[in-house]
Amino acid sequence: MSTRHSDQRDDEIHQLLRQAVSRRGFLTRTALGAGGLALGASFLAACGGKEGGGAAGGGSAGKTLRISNWPLYIDQKSIADFQAATGIQAEYTEDINDNAEFFAKIDEPLKRGQSIDRDIVVLTDWMAGRMIQLGYLAPLDDSKFPNRVNLVDNLKSVTWDNGRVYTVPWLSGMTGIGYNPKKTGRELTSINDIFDPKFKGQVTMLTEMRDTIGLVMLSQGKDPSTATSADVTAAAARIKKARESGQIRKFTGNDYAEDLAAGNIAAAIAWSGDIQGLAADNPDLRWIAPTEGAMLWSDNMMIPKTSDRPDLAMAWINYVYDPAHSAQIVAEAPYLSPVKGTGEELAKIAPDLASSSLVNPPDDLRARLHVFRGLTDEEDTEFNRIFQDAIGA
Amino acid sequence: MAGTAAGGARRNRLAPYLLIAPGIVWLLVFFVAPILTLAQTSVEGHGAPWWDGYQRALSNYGTHFFRSFRYSLAATVLALVLGYPLSYVIAFRAGRLKNLLLGLVVLPFFTTFLVRTFAWKTILNDGGPAAWLLQQLHLLSPNGRLLDTTLAVVGGLTYNFLPFMILPIYVSLEKIDRRLVEAAEDLYSTPLGAFRKVVLPLSMPGVFAGSLLTFIPAAGDFINAQLLGGPNQQMIGTVIQNQFLEVRDYSLASALSFVLMVVITLGVVAYARVLGTEELA
Repeated sequence: MSTRHSDQRDDEIHQLLRQAVSRRGFLTRTALGAGGLALGASFLAACGGKEGGGAAGGGSAGKTLRISNWPLYIDQKSIADFQAATGIQAEYTEDINDNAEFFAKIDEPLKRGQSIDRDIVVLTDWMAGRMIQLGYLAPLDDSKFPNRVNLVDNLKSVTWDNGRVYTVPWLSGMTGIGYNPKKTGRELTSINDIFDPKFKGQVTMLTEMRDTIGLVMLSQGKDPSTATSADVTAAAARIKKARESGQIRKFTGNDYAEDLAAGNIAAAIAWSGDIQGLAADNPDLRWIAPTEGAMLWSDNMMIPKTSDRPDLAMAWINYVYDPAHSAQIVAEAPYLSPVKGTGEELAKIAPDLASSSLVNPPDDLRARLHVFRGLTDEEDTEFNRIFQDAIGA
Repeated sequence: MAGTAAGGARRNRLAPYLLIAPGIVWLLVFFVAPILTLAQTSVEGHGAPWWDGYQRALSNYGTHFFRSFRYSLAATVLALVLGYPLSYVIAFRAGRLKNLLLGLVVLPFFTTFLVRTFAWKTILNDGGPAAWLLQQLHLLSPNGRLLDTTLAVVGGLTYNFLPFMILPIYVSLEKIDRRLVEAAEDLYSTPLGAFRKVVLPLSMPGVFAGSLLTFIPAAGDFINAQLLGGPNQQMIGTVIQNQFLEVRDYSLASALSFVLMVVITLGVVAYARVLGTEELA
């Protein structure tokens, strides 16, 4: 397949991702965001001396860059390579298990303008939009980000971050089904397999509402990009019934991976690139995009406004936007890279993977990918209430 | 001279207040103020009437409340059954080993609650030692599991709160005058009779305190249900945590907390009446 062809298809995928937050949602958010920004400004004024000194005087020298990301989302070598290349010490923590759970930890300190001891956090589109709207982020410094030119065209602007002022994508991925053929005894193809009574008590679903509800909606022939309250209620009813019958063993964050690797479960609603990271423990594991469709999303890097070393954060962002560096990450965390030229670089170091549907989805798979509709705050609360009731929490 | 005496008397009158002042301040700042804030949050309807949170708390979460009380009651009974004989042995029969045994009871506290519960996750894993052993003994079906079950949650609660049962019972047993037991035996009581008529009644304050120290925190616990239970084992603590942190429905979460507090308080008062412990009833 030619590069141009693949780029064009990337455009389609990213077109979908751009719409992750609806125009309507964005407008209500901008109004709220203004208030947040005003608060942020007064905070900055209040402790201007300290902040100013840090930014202007190169106060980051000798300090450690602190990154929070999700598990199974990077290769073994990139951090060490980055340290060798830039001389910046980096501390990479895999402490994001679930968007809402992580947000709950950082919300209060950020609201009060306190440090969260992180210089980069990586959150999914809808949560990234909320972070911007609340005024919790520092804008990216383009003078330290020459590799921005490598950002794929169609993700250069998204409705919830116009012109990518505050965020750039880390990786994009798909939500489908991960399974252990030894335990299922057969190949899985459909979302309905998750509800097969043969696997009673041996399946898990995600606590991320958009992933779980979205996938179950697809099984009911509904499109998550136009989700209505009735669709969500119907999907939640199916989940609740399965939960009450004992079909679903657990609702998890990224920690489903442990259960899958340990052989506690046969199948899980799972993220596309995680399985390769688990292969060391359990080489049999497989991931599929169900015939009914799969969910598509992006996770985004952002700098909390209370970080006192944004220049180090920019150095990391610029580093991973080099196609060779991005390819090295994708080689072990096979997700969709937002960096132009990653495919070619990947072909050099991992030719098998370069043609894998995980990093380069074929046309028929692309056609089945859906992005959950952008929600207003009221809808978000309503859908979450319905979902939390369904999962029994 | 007279002045000094009067000053001394005034100081004496003030002394009790000065002594309780730090406690009162502590309670005001760390108990009364948070409770009032919580109460205020629970009646913030955000457009809905003020009782909206309570209405939803009472109409949608009955299952979780009943489950929490069932689990924590089971854990309290189990802890009592396990803890009483152990306390008895430590207090009356351990001899030189007494301090060592007491040390062992307290030892788990040197690691955090969370780490200990995670350890249970590993132990109860499907491929783990406990499941393997029970399967070899045919006590667990080959497809059966221990993790993410009611058994695991109740077991975890019992394990985590057992020391809170053992220590008060031990203290009340330790205080018992041995000559009372000897007197009972001199008066031809059997050892069992002496236990039933002398030791047991005198240790009841310990049983009472131990039960409360186990039941109350267990009823509000969320870690055990979250780590060791499945979606049908979630307790009210998990719901409150989830509503506060995931859904951020603060009025519902606060209302749930208040309902839990009221129910526990009523339960404790009823329990105190039944058990007839003088200090509390």
